[in-house]
Amino acid sequence: MQRDATRRLFVSLSMLATIALYGNAPVQAQASGDPIRKIVLISWPQGVNPQAYQASQLIAQNWRQLGLEVEVRSMPWPQHIQTVWNERDKWDTTMWRMVGRPERSDPDEVVYNNYHSTTAATGFNFIGYLNPEYDKIAEEQRQTTDTAKRKALISQAQRLLDRDQPQAFLVYPTTMKAFNKNVWAEDSIVSQSGIGIRNFWTFVRATPKGDQKQMVLNSAEPVVAVSPMYIAGSASSWVTELVWDRLARVGPDGLPQPWAAEKIDWVSPTTVDVTLRAGMTWHDGKPVTIEDVIYSFEAPTMGNKVPMYKSAVADIVKIEKTGEQRARFTLKAPNAAFVTSSLSKINLIPKHVWDPIMKDLMTKPENAEALPNPPAIGSGPFKMVRNKGQEEIVLDRFAGHFSAPKMERWVLRIVPNPEATLGMLRRNEINFLADYGGAPDVLEKLAKEAPQLKVMSEVDIGFEYAAFNLRRAPFNDVNFRRALSMVVDRNVMVQAAWNGYAVAANSQVSPALKFWYDTDTTKIRTGLPVAKDILDKAGYKVVGGKLSYPAGVKETLKSN
Amino acid sequence: MRFLAARLAHSIFVLLAVVTLMFLMFRLMPGDPMAAYISEALSDESRQSIRAQFGLDLPLWQQYFIYLANVCQGELGMSFFLKEPVWDIVMAALPVTLALTFSGLVLAYLFGVIAGAFLAWRRGSLVEGISIPIVLATRAAPEFWVGMILLSVFAFSLGWFPSGGAASPGSMYTSEWQRLLSLDFLHHLVLPVVTLALYLQGLPLLLMRSTMLDVMHEEYVTMARMKGLSTKRVVLNHAARNAMLPVATAFTLSLGQLVGGNVVIEMVFSWPGLGRILVQAVSASDYPLAQGAFLLVAFALISMNFVADLFYAVLDPRVSHDRKA
Repeated sequence: MQRDATRRLFVSLSMLATIALYGNAPVQAQASGDPIRKIVLISWPQGVNPQAYQASQLIAQNWRQLGLEVEVRSMPWPQHIQTVWNERDKWDTTMWRMVGRPERSDPDEVVYNNYHSTTAATGFNFIGYLNPEYDKIAEEQRQTTDTAKRKALISQAQRLLDRDQPQAFLVYPTTMKAFNKNVWAEDSIVSQSGIGIRNFWTFVRATPKGDQKQMVLNSAEPVVAVSPMYIAGSASSWVTELVWDRLARVGPDGLPQPWAAEKIDWVSPTTVDVTLRAGMTWHDGKPVTIEDVIYSFEAPTMGNKVPMYKSAVADIVKIEKTGEQRARFTLKAPNAAFVTSSLSKINLIPKHVWDPIMKDLMTKPENAEALPNPPAIGSGPFKMVRNKGQEEIVLDRFAGHFSAPKMERWVLRIVPNPEATLGMLRRNEINFLADYGGAPDVLEKLAKEAPQLKVMSEVDIGFEYAAFNLRRAPFNDVNFRRALSMVVDRNVMVQAAWNGYAVAANSQVSPALKFWYDTDTTKIRTGLPVAKDILDKAGYKVVGGKLSYPAGVKETLKSN
Repeated sequence: MRFLAARLAHSIFVLLAVVTLMFLMFRLMPGDPMAAYISEALSDESRQSIRAQFGLDLPLWQQYFIYLANVCQGELGMSFFLKEPVWDIVMAALPVTLALTFSGLVLAYLFGVIAGAFLAWRRGSLVEGISIPIVLATRAAPEFWVGMILLSVFAFSLGWFPSGGAASPGSMYTSEWQRLLSLDFLHHLVLPVVTLALYLQGLPLLLMRSTMLDVMHEEYVTMARMKGLSTKRVVLNHAARNAMLPVATAFTLSLGQLVGGNVVIEMVFSWPGLGRILVQAVSASDYPLAQGAFLLVAFALISMNFVADLFYAVLDPRVSHDRKA
């Protein structure tokens, strides 16, 4: 009897256990939502950007460890930009980069343009980050002329992105350039903060040591346009900034300084007085007048004929001539970045050359971009001699310039083959390596073998990142984004994808901008346990090896 | 005359098919040419305006007929990307392209014909045993590899030739002709031409050799020998002359391919030719430029094919295309 009772008790307990086990099964299933669809990570083709491609493969591995199905999809650039830029609701994640440019030495562009809600529809905020709190800070920093207060606001903006992780910042790449120190005096080569030695100041100040007074540098890409109204690629901008002057220039320290302007005076937070240097002439010999300066800032506002520079003059209400060499700029609202984003950006153009061109354009549907090579008459330190964008650009020293270059001639050679580029550098066929996309260690090795070469590296203002499309679930969930970002170990990224030639990133402001960079953003904890913990706390479950939404959340999208 | 008219009609039909295929192909490719214009400052309105400027807002069939009408008038349109007339871009790059490809082809065929005849004459010798594998290896070797080897040895190490480009940095010439005829240009031309010639020499050499081997057994060669003519005279005046017929045809056909340049060699030697422009045009979805350049290549190829047909019929009376024959 006792044995029967024991057996019945065992059977009953077993049944209870079975009921409890199977009875709980539906409850557990209800504790998670639908499995998350396959995530597509758009990337550069390996041949075009091997580092970013390698990074995308590592990221995909990390995300798979969280239970996601991930496809890395390489696309040629036209298709890539078409998808990300013009089909803003049709992609999940993409590898992207913000290129370092001198005018980005002020953090306004990366703080405001990239993340403000007004640029989400068609502008740089292609990820769709909509945060009124961030918008307020981005607007305030633009209007705050007190540097200390502005710095605090820029820090807040960085910390908000650290909190929200609208994209996974990966690295600030280290750019490497080199020059022949037998040809150029070492102390005359200028390293510009966040840009490196290939910059305007080097080209103006580089001093020849011997008879060779011609700088020969390289670009892997052809120069498509040389115009004060249209920049078509980075090499195009190197030429443009040498031929056309600007009222101000971003200096080697990353801060703007007067250039063609003798003085820039802030009369009030919305009023700026500019005094033009005396005695400046255009390359055709005519004098540079204050009317030319005013015209240079008015031209981008004519219709929609100069779209590339329209935003740079958008804050200007009016410009008045206040003297033979003076003009007053009145702004719509205080703009702390005005000198960098406008006065250092707008090329000064001769009215006598451009007025007929603009009048003609006003009668046509085309804009100024339809004239990629207009008359190259500027007032800059170099004048155009030969423009064969597929082969070479030749500029000669403009002796009449207030800061005439030390070199006689500047020759930009188009060399698409990186191995040949190094061969040319070694043989002094080029004496300044301005563009190098090959392996950094190969360049360093070459410099050891050829003592006449000096390699210089600089952390870039720009950054590489994996962007999330916040318009699409589950990327609209901050916890999901944080997990996907935190699972990526930036230091592994630096070593494995960029071979150590980069700095780990977690901010829209590069450490190259020392004054503005918030070092607190570096204090992030990354790794698989951290990411799993975030997902777990947010209710995401791994069911059958697949990461699923929190309970009750349905998958409404299909993989593209 | 009937033969001529038929060949001409055939060529025109092929050209029309090529034009149509190219038109469709570039429009079915992924990517948008507007990508080249994207900037933070460009509004939707501006994009639409530019799209309309280039006729991209019209239905495909309308774009096709407009394109066809323009092509018939020799109007190749404006490059989307470079914003210059396609004709001007192509014509600017054509002289250096032809200088490279024509020199390479002539060198390859000169060498190929002479070496092919010689190896046929020395059939079974040690020279032939060594030469044929070398010829096959150079023919099979990738152009970029051969180019890089030549660069490494003759430019980087020995310093005999420049490492790239078509002229020394900053050199000025009053005209393109002056540049093409300058010693500096010829100095820059050597390595790319040798690379191209090494790649091309296999076909004429092997063709010449095999045709020579056939010809050597012809009765008129035996007759020439029996007449007691010198070996040189028998080879050059009797055998080689007749063996050159297929080589001449191959040469004519190859001429047509010259116009398109050689992308690989142009990349390796930084040669500012049409091949590089073509690659850029395709990757930037620059329809007019890519279409225009490819059309020019197709036109040259089809024309040379037509010339080769005529040439063959004229050169060899045994060959007749007349159906009545």
